[in-house]
Amino acid sequence: MLVITRKLEQSIIIGGEVEVIVLGVTKDGVRLGIKAPRSVQVHRREVFEAIAAENRAATETRVPVQDAAALLRAAHPPKPKDR
Amino acid sequence: MNPPLALPNDDGLLITFPKGLLGFPQLTLFRLLEPHDGYPLKFLQSEENPEVSFTCINPAVVKPDYDVPLSAEEAQALGLESPEDALILTLVVVPEDPRQMTTNLAGPLVLNGKTRMGYQIVFGSEKFPLRYPILPQD
Repeated sequence: MLVITRKLEQSIIIGGEVEVIVLGVTKDGVRLGIKAPRSVQVHRREVFEAIAAENRAATETRVPVQDAAALLRAAHPPKPKDR
Repeated sequence: MNPPLALPNDDGLLITFPKGLLGFPQLTLFRLLEPHDGYPLKFLQSEENPEVSFTCINPAVVKPDYDVPLSAEEAQALGLESPEDALILTLVVVPEDPRQMTTNLAGPLVLNGKTRMGYQIVFGSEKFPLRYPILPQD
């Protein structure tokens, strides 16, 4: 891992288009500003981890999918436009 | 902005996820299966690992007002000519009690039907629920 020391209001640039700026440092945390193109997804790591966990769970269906599908069809009757 | 998935339902459409799905970055090629007796569920079956199949759904079936707010820049990055060309799927978690089924509105899959490419978009879960119940709760 690359380790860089930065002071308040200093920044690093990643890949020529993402800039991470140190906006504030307190005893509770570091406040960062991130400038990135809209196409670059920037989130807290926890957000990615939560979605990765849900992805894993979506591969672990334990009941017959026909049963799950029947429950859904009963609650949400098919409309032609959904097919 | 959720047009019907006009996809063949026999062999399923092959879709490439260049970045994979979160937690599964190495799996990039999937077949979208829509078995008749599984409707409205669909299945993204990995071509590279037969044990990985994601259960998913067209979220319009269970939450008609769900809208993935793609910006023009994001649509362009996904190779979509316009945000309306996107086909949206959300992943479904079926627990042991299937009445507690949920779908993940915070990490939808956006498919480009023309290029047959797919991406998982990440929203903060403060914006959309990670576990949205899709059956009526008692």
